[in-house]
Amino acid sequence: MSERTKKWLCRIIVLLALLFLPQVIKDRYFMHIVVISGIFMILCMSWNLLAGYTGLLNLGHAAFYGIGAYTSALLAIKLGVSPWFGLFAGGLVAAFFGFLLGIPSLRLSGPYLAITTIGFAEILRLVAVNWVELTRGSLGLSGVPLLTPIRLGGWSFKFYLEKDYYYVVLAAVVITFFCIRRLTGSQFGVSLQALRDDEPGARSIGIKTTGYKLAVFTVSAFFAGFAGALFAHFIRLVSPETMALHTTFDILTMTMIGGLGTIAGPILGAVTLTFFSEWLRYLEEVIKVDIRLVVYGFMLILTILFMREGLAGILRRLIERFKGGRPVSKGEDKT
Amino acid sequence: MSEILRTEKLTKNFGGLCAVKDMSFSIHEGNIMGLIGPNGAGKTTLINLISGAFPPSSGRIVFNDRDISRCKAYTANNMGIARTFQIVRIFSQLTARENILAALVDRRRNGPWKLIGKAMFSKSFALTDNKEASEEADRLLDFVGISRYGEEQAGSMPYALSKRLEIARAMATRPELLLLDEPSSGLNPAELVDQIELIKQINRQGITILIIEHVMKVIMDISHRLIVLHYGEKIAEGDPMKVYTDPQVVEAYLGDDTDAAH
Repeated sequence: MSERTKKWLCRIIVLLALLFLPQVIKDRYFMHIVVISGIFMILCMSWNLLAGYTGLLNLGHAAFYGIGAYTSALLAIKLGVSPWFGLFAGGLVAAFFGFLLGIPSLRLSGPYLAITTIGFAEILRLVAVNWVELTRGSLGLSGVPLLTPIRLGGWSFKFYLEKDYYYVVLAAVVITFFCIRRLTGSQFGVSLQALRDDEPGARSIGIKTTGYKLAVFTVSAFFAGFAGALFAHFIRLVSPETMALHTTFDILTMTMIGGLGTIAGPILGAVTLTFFSEWLRYLEEVIKVDIRLVVYGFMLILTILFMREGLAGILRRLIERFKGGRPVSKGEDKT
Repeated sequence: MSEILRTEKLTKNFGGLCAVKDMSFSIHEGNIMGLIGPNGAGKTTLINLISGAFPPSSGRIVFNDRDISRCKAYTANNMGIARTFQIVRIFSQLTARENILAALVDRRRNGPWKLIGKAMFSKSFALTDNKEASEEADRLLDFVGISRYGEEQAGSMPYALSKRLEIARAMATRPELLLLDEPSSGLNPAELVDQIELIKQINRQGITILIIEHVMKVIMDISHRLIVLHYGEKIAEGDPMKVYTDPQVVEAYLGDDTDAAH
């Protein structure tokens, strides 16, 4: 069997397993967590494009998420626009704001950019809190419609239960994954990494750094907005809390622990931490102590100190050992 | 031989400090122009001006009959000016090969959005799918003698080799003019000989070179003409041997008798 067919066989097996997951696990609560972790996978992948591949520490990522959620929810509630269209509209409006936030980022770097992006997200959160006529303030928009059923001939697929949404999110994650993998593995991706490693060096080989920063902010925001819109039609409630700083920190923690600047990292991080935090919630009830954030912080420190490539790095080393010491090149480490 | 680069009364002030003052000189196509001078003479500033790292305070830079005084670094590179840095600026987390592949992208025709389009919709999107670029990268790695390090992370390469990688990366942009900022700093004598040979080879391909150098042996050996800078001003220009023995130059480097008396 050639390397190529093996690869495809692996992919098909993984995909089939994922498709049959809801048939095996009937627990609705479990499926709910799976869907949420899927949405966070998209968020982490898009954030990783900025922070991991381009070195732009965006701490306002939750704002794009919130913009996507509000856009799609408002379109559906006020104008009766189909939620399916809303998913893309949410992405596009977020992309527009991504472009806007990209402009100051051209002149700022490091901590200054981080603070500016926090400010951006905070402003949008406050707008959502105070523009009561449109957003209903901190009450949030409730009653966001479900995704409308898909009818193909006589066969129709309704979106009501968690497992129905599971398929939508699965498709969204797969599409996002392939888009991001194409972007990072291409000439575009290597240009981003070049400007991350050394900006003057990148300019010296003809990379128009300003253009690339704007482009990557726009693309990253698109996917975050898309995830936000999915979230809105799944949870059916959008509140300004979506845009709060803690959402961004969840994304940051997941991506860092999963492996910053790796393809598999955001996926591993999102799924591990979503489930881990649910487990910690049980634990908190038992021991009556709020320890979730303490544990997160501790894990983050350990990751930064001892395993920069996070879970993805560990996985890569395991695969290397499994394959008998053949070094796996950077391009190959994917899930 | 025609002129490839000309500066006219080029001046750069940093606050009250005048780093480069009224510099006028020209380089002929295919030449190696040496640039020497004591520390702080403004040599690197001059290279930064030509490569577009920052704009001049006044004066003009003309490259291939086009005024590039206000060009940004990436535009200057797209026009055919490549450079290396005094302290290497390679992409440390990429492999040596990827460093060169990044430079091989034809940026005159491809902006960020076009590259996104290609990544999303082209059948062979991956960096390694481009056979032509891959072969060219191999050729360049081989040319500077670091073939063995192709898959190595650039940041973990020995210093001398990372300097060579930087030269290969600059060459990958297919420049007409190459600006080398102290290509031999930090090299041992054996590496130095190789480096001189490499620079000569690059020049033999028809690439014009402007080189800053502290090691006299290097500069006397390779440059066709020589410029001496002192406190931002040109104090001598011409044939290396003549410049070398110019009393004004000797004075700039060693100080005159009155200095010695202090």
